[in-house]
Amino acid sequence: MKIYVCIKQVPDIDAPIRIRDGRLLLDRDRMVMNAYDASALEAALVLTEETEGDVEAVLIGPGKAGETIRKALAMGADSGTHIVADTTGYDSAAYANILSAFFTGKTYNYIACGKQAQDTDSGLTGGMVARLLNIPYVSNAVRVEGGHDGITVTRQGDTGRELIDLPVPGLFTCSNDMNEPRIPGLKGIMQSKRKPVHVLSLDDLGIDKSSIKTHTRITGYEQIPGRKPGRTFEGEPGEIARDVAALLNEETGIS
Amino acid sequence: MSTLLTYVSIQDGRIKRSSLDLLSRCSEEAEKNGHRSAALLIDESASGYASELSTFGLSKIYIVEGPRFKNRLNGPLLKAFSTVLKQVKPAVLSLDSTEESKDVLGALSASTGAPVLPDLSQFELTENGVKGKRPVMASKILSLVEAVGKPVIFSVRSKSHVQAPARTPSRADVEKIDVSVTADDMRASLREIRKAKGSGMDLSEAETIVAAGRGVRDEKGLNLIYELAGVLQAGIGASRALTESGVFDSSLQIGQTGKVVSPQLYIAVGISGAIQHVAGMTNSRIIVAINSDPSAPIFDIADYGIVGDLYKVLPPFIEEIRSFKRNTFI
Repeated sequence: MKIYVCIKQVPDIDAPIRIRDGRLLLDRDRMVMNAYDASALEAALVLTEETEGDVEAVLIGPGKAGETIRKALAMGADSGTHIVADTTGYDSAAYANILSAFFTGKTYNYIACGKQAQDTDSGLTGGMVARLLNIPYVSNAVRVEGGHDGITVTRQGDTGRELIDLPVPGLFTCSNDMNEPRIPGLKGIMQSKRKPVHVLSLDDLGIDKSSIKTHTRITGYEQIPGRKPGRTFEGEPGEIARDVAALLNEETGIS
Repeated sequence: MSTLLTYVSIQDGRIKRSSLDLLSRCSEEAEKNGHRSAALLIDESASGYASELSTFGLSKIYIVEGPRFKNRLNGPLLKAFSTVLKQVKPAVLSLDSTEESKDVLGALSASTGAPVLPDLSQFELTENGVKGKRPVMASKILSLVEAVGKPVIFSVRSKSHVQAPARTPSRADVEKIDVSVTADDMRASLREIRKAKGSGMDLSEAETIVAAGRGVRDEKGLNLIYELAGVLQAGIGASRALTESGVFDSSLQIGQTGKVVSPQLYIAVGISGAIQHVAGMTNSRIIVAINSDPSAPIFDIADYGIVGDLYKVLPPFIEEIRSFKRNTFI
């Protein structure tokens, strides 16, 4: 069983974010593996542990993002591919086109991705890649089980869970609710240094940099208008509970 | 004159209200810009719902129906959307942001070449496309986005718009569009659906939500949550801690991963307020937080923060609200 996992290096959303002149100022030292991708990787590792398979992490990003491939290798991926590109201005379509160029002609059972990136929260790339490769897909997976010939993906829908049989080759995108991604141990970190990482340029994939199409544009960023400061109530529980209930009744007419 | 096409989502046998909010907004936009507003219904028996759209000033209602569309598998849905886009050639296709629409947006964009802007909280039409705002970075920041093309596909968060008053009922043309679903579209196949157990209320439409977090430790705490929700006729939601432990179904999870909600009143009980949770509820009109830890981040965004043990605070809180309710009926 061969599973490719698409991973992305993203800003740590817990880090402070500032905007200057409509642009984001990010702390370049606080870049992490997208949490949803980490769940996809964990799912792939578990699937291949059961079937003796091979997991390869694929990342598009600048040289520095290579550290995120090392993280994936330390978690247990067997190898990595780093498609080196300056991704400034890329939208989901740009990523998807490069990924599908990479996957075209490759043999695999499944491609796993996070269901969205935690910085843009767009959730488009997985479906785009599946469509461009003309393979079936399931999004928002919360569970995967199965083997070589096919897996059953449990997808969280709007009003319940859908169990979907996904044949080979297929693609699934993962929610971070499906598992707790493993933390690399010392052994994993040591082993990761000996695992192969293939470095590719866009040229190697036959992609002309100037031909990368972006469909959409980010024209700026704005602070979300903050909430007005609220009131805090401390003291005897019965008393403060009644006070707040009364205030709510006045404000919203809950009655 | 162009067509603004809105997908009206049918879930569990009824039209989603958030779809109608969006449809109303698109009809306004059409009127303002001299365009036509049209709706698209896709369902096993979609025609039956067309009459519910008579007060939205529509020029046309497009119908795709058949047994293949019963379970909203992305293969047939995708075929339906791309066939409709090819035939209708709208200027835009708008959808409300649901797991159903998230499931097809990317693939639809790839198969039609149409640009897509997902999960907008605001939008407006431009000369040759759409621009809008969307929350990013766990809803800490708004990103301003635009797309040029015909059509542009975009999805809109629920409760981003208030429905305009109903118009005088009018008869829109109903046109059925044949979609040929092939074996190729059915490669991923549905084995079973497990419906969520819960309050039965669609959280994205609820006016009041009571949400439980880690602080709700036991049966007694859960009963308090059910009681409060009952008194307020509220939907029940949960933080990741309680959906992950299986106490609540994961369809009730509110946050960056789960549902994004913006009710009139949100009561967070025993929820600390991790940014992933806050991302899903920060646009609620009034936020009440009950937590025993005065330094819990949820208090930073709460309008009314009650520092105290929920087991001691909730009983008198519920009693007081019940007494308000009772008084109005006397």
